[in-house]
Amino acid sequence: MQVTDQDLQFFIATLKNVSKYDFSEYSDKSLKRRLQKILEDYNLDIFSLIANLKNDRAFIEKVVKEVTVNTTELFRDPPVWHLLRSRILPRFRNNKTINIWHAGCSTGQEVYSMMILLNEMGMLEQAKIFATDINIDVLDAAKQGVYKYRFNLGYLDNFDKVIKQNPLNFEEYNEVPYEKYFEIDKVKDTITMNKFLSEKPIFRKHDLVTDGNIFFAKFDLILCRNVIIYFNYSLQNKVFELFHSNLYPKGVLLLGMHETILGPWATKFEKLGQSYVKK
Amino acid sequence: MYKAVIIGGSAGSFQVITRILHSLPASFPLPVLLCLHRLKHVRSGFVEALSLKSGIPIIEPDDKEQIKPGKAYLAPANYHMFIELGNKIALSTEDPVNHSRPSIDLSFLTAAQVYRDKLIGVILSGANRDGAYGLKKIKDLGGLAIVQDPNECQVRTMTEASLKMTPVDHVYNTSEIIRFLQTIKT
Repeated sequence: MQVTDQDLQFFIATLKNVSKYDFSEYSDKSLKRRLQKILEDYNLDIFSLIANLKNDRAFIEKVVKEVTVNTTELFRDPPVWHLLRSRILPRFRNNKTINIWHAGCSTGQEVYSMMILLNEMGMLEQAKIFATDINIDVLDAAKQGVYKYRFNLGYLDNFDKVIKQNPLNFEEYNEVPYEKYFEIDKVKDTITMNKFLSEKPIFRKHDLVTDGNIFFAKFDLILCRNVIIYFNYSLQNKVFELFHSNLYPKGVLLLGMHETILGPWATKFEKLGQSYVKK
Repeated sequence: MYKAVIIGGSAGSFQVITRILHSLPASFPLPVLLCLHRLKHVRSGFVEALSLKSGIPIIEPDDKEQIKPGKAYLAPANYHMFIELGNKIALSTEDPVNHSRPSIDLSFLTAAQVYRDKLIGVILSGANRDGAYGLKKIKDLGGLAIVQDPNECQVRTMTEASLKMTPVDHVYNTSEIIRFLQTIKT
């Protein structure tokens, strides 16, 4: 059965009614596809889904987790991490504190990647790491910092590319043992982040659509990667405004590899590689 | 009369796609949408390699980028590439489909819904079944379906799966695909 525009509107309106979640400015197409998948996975028609949403708070959280996309990996897109290492993070080296916000952190791989890189650069102590997501379940996973091993062998390749190799000189190779940061258990099939990493960040539930800045702090660096691709133009602009007003001057916003600021906020930033520096 | 060409390929399609792009005139009247599987670790350098001999510019588009004629849009590594109403690209990091991200089925399906009978879909050599369902949707919605001759393919799984799934308009070898595309006028 194909999800219609009407079904989608019905779903969005119900969710808005029974919870704080507002998906009305998400991109229609992607939301429709996700809704379709949920109906198929739970074997429900739209009316039963709506009925369940009205009666079951835990079900709402489950559906929100399924509606939102939670793809992430350790050091996703190594060139971005090279940029962070060589051109972005060094700007903050002499700061007493560095405030970093991972907006839409999902299950936390990006947060751990950042802490590992900061530690290699000798900057972890001065960093304050804030990480948020709309969904409580993925935040719990992020706090645990335990990931599947065999399914994620690519994590180790990425780690080698970013942490062991010098991007400016591929002949240079630093032997950094994985155990410095995480424990691999091949029997249990897990990668477990070391405690000194998993206990550092402040993880909070946060909805970019409704919640503003919940930390009473401004930021030197905001990462929000592959989140705004699911938003429409008007919501994107609201989010850019939120980020802009909560960055320090010269603070940096880092979006996904193929996300750009279109529209009025583009002029308020300068490009540095593929990142945006607040003017 | 056509509004876009969409091409899907996987293992064994790189040389074919290079030849096709090389043959297109700078004045080619349609946008060319490319959804090609690539090895996960070969993420950079692919556009550059394809661009070397291409007759039209090749772009790895950003999300919500406007699609223009005479340009080729290559689905970025590790993203699905959708076509949306208003002639725009939408990218997504949703789960892989047919073990693939980008998935040819998803690009074809969304392009078919936007361009309907004004779309040409081409399936090239490949080692899995991604794309077969998408090509069927292009046919179902009135578009034109072309499949590379399996006898010419380095790996014939994808073209054979497509031929099994839907009747197509043409089974062409690379030279015939090129000749066909060169005759397109608006």
